[in-house]
Amino acid sequence: MITLSSLTKQFGDATAVDAIDLEIADGEFFSMLGPSGCGKTTTLRMIAGFEEPTSGRIELAGEDVTWTSPRRRNVNMVFQNYALFPHMNVRENVEFGLRIKKLGKAEAKERIERMVAAVRMEGFEDRHPAQLSGGQQQRVALARALVNQPAALLLDEPLGALDLKLRKEMQLELKSIQQQTGTTFVYVTHDQEEALTMSDRVAVMNGGKVEQAADPRTLYQRPDSAFVADFIGTSNLMTIPTGQRAGEDIRIALPAASPNGEVTITVRPEKIKVVASEPADGSYARGTVLENVYLGSMTQLIVEIRSGERLIVHQLNDEDGREPLAPGAAVILAWSAEHSYVIPEKGPQ
Amino acid sequence: MGIPTTPQITVTGERPSRLSRLLKPFAFMSLPTAVLAVLFLIPMGILVYFSFQYGDLTGQSGFTLSNFTDTLTDPLYREIALATFEIATIAMVAQLIVGIPLAYVLAYKAGRFELPLLLALVLADELNPMVRIYAWRMLLGREGLINDALTSLGLINAPIDALLFNKFSVIVVLSTSYLTYTVIPIYASMKAVDSGLFEAAKDMGAGWFTTFRRVLLPLIAPGIFIALLLVYVPLFTDFAAPSLVGGTSGIMLGNVVADMVLQNGNLNMGAAMSFLMLLAAALFSLLAYQLSRVKGGAK
Repeated sequence: MITLSSLTKQFGDATAVDAIDLEIADGEFFSMLGPSGCGKTTTLRMIAGFEEPTSGRIELAGEDVTWTSPRRRNVNMVFQNYALFPHMNVRENVEFGLRIKKLGKAEAKERIERMVAAVRMEGFEDRHPAQLSGGQQQRVALARALVNQPAALLLDEPLGALDLKLRKEMQLELKSIQQQTGTTFVYVTHDQEEALTMSDRVAVMNGGKVEQAADPRTLYQRPDSAFVADFIGTSNLMTIPTGQRAGEDIRIALPAASPNGEVTITVRPEKIKVVASEPADGSYARGTVLENVYLGSMTQLIVEIRSGERLIVHQLNDEDGREPLAPGAAVILAWSAEHSYVIPEKGPQ
Repeated sequence: MGIPTTPQITVTGERPSRLSRLLKPFAFMSLPTAVLAVLFLIPMGILVYFSFQYGDLTGQSGFTLSNFTDTLTDPLYREIALATFEIATIAMVAQLIVGIPLAYVLAYKAGRFELPLLLALVLADELNPMVRIYAWRMLLGREGLINDALTSLGLINAPIDALLFNKFSVIVVLSTSYLTYTVIPIYASMKAVDSGLFEAAKDMGAGWFTTFRRVLLPLIAPGIFIALLLVYVPLFTDFAAPSLVGGTSGIMLGNVVADMVLQNGNLNMGAAMSFLMLLAAALFSLLAYQLSRVKGGAK
């Protein structure tokens, strides 16, 4: 288990990481997700030991390692640019950590073979990194770190340099290697889809703080903040002045037990339906289609409602022959009360 | 369909003949080659020619091997050759010991001071060698700064004479003479090494020495090889430093050649000695090249 307690890192006047608390369980695939500059990489580097925290504590398996050298921490890192040793072949790269640990020859050989097989690099043992593709280098970097059997593997945007198709393949592969080895993965990325598809839990970070740490489903369905709602998937954020908004062209129904006063709600685009007439209950809004974008499995509509806000609507292309709604068409959008998710008010910080 | 048949294509351009394709690269190199021939190969040829000649005051001259046999069999020259080897090697090692960390600081740690420091290093080399050597004499001499400081501090009673006019002083002066040429190729090869590799090594438990030996050193071996070529060979043939601070025990081969030509007027013997030193330098370069390949891993 990795425990971070009010971990803070300042660079001069700038606070990169602002008193974050996190607990990462053994065997968990944990991601830190956020825009660049949110402090996710700094946090990872503090866990690895390459950055010293300004204050706070880092515990690895119950042991305080805040001031321990990276050499003596039982974690290994996969670097963004792989950082493979260019003068060593695949086998020597993977062997590096084991030679330092002075592991017996037979055991080292066995572990290297097993690891090279796990990342599907058999037959490439004598190649140098320059003779490998990006994806292959990535696998070698993974093997080089995992062969040390670390308590946790730290990955710093490891797929950032790969093209989209390869990235998708490697996502699945990473996940399966993680499940095979049972190693805790701490994964840093700015790609929300990547984080959602692979992780058991995701910490969404912004401005050096953790906005929310939860499983992907919770993050998507019950975001703790407008930032999370906006960062994870596409969402329609609306601020409703007092209570429910109601008028001739719009009615917004909130779920039961919603707070009074000004609230911010988010409605996911796939929950909004285009209907023929105003529904008897739930929310609706009249508007005009501004744009329709064909996305293959679905069509994305951008609709300007009468109050001037723009809503994004996803329509599944599951029926043949449905006429796409042309820009300028008048539509009625409807969604049920429980799909107006009220973002919790943040207490004073 | 509709694709023209092949003979039409060959009409547009004559395929260059095999010979002209072979000669093309040499055409580009013809001017530099000519310059090299005039400035380098011809004097070299003259040197070799002289080394196989004899001439005496009676005006007789002709072919001989005695210049070589005399040089190689004279025990005095052998002793000086050994001393030269010792001085040059110690000075080279000293410069590597200072130069590699200096290059490391420049390449990875200097930050915004990188360029000014590099400039300072180049400027240091612009200093006239004579001025530099006399500066060392002022530091190391009997009434020099070091002896003065030690005496006034009461650490020694009488000035130390052993600081100047011996092997030691030659080594000290030579160790600082070529530092620029040691540092710059090593620095350049370090700039090509991703410093992330050091973090990766540390991450896997390597200490600084292991990281240096197994990661940095093999990757900068080509730079060290160039430094050896640029520095070790001139160190071997230096004659200014030994003649100004060497006294009688700090004589090097360069002095012997200079004396042979300038004092004794024996151009033939001097040429033979130079030729032998050139051979030694060539052999050494090959050896250093081989070593750097082994260290750097065969590519």
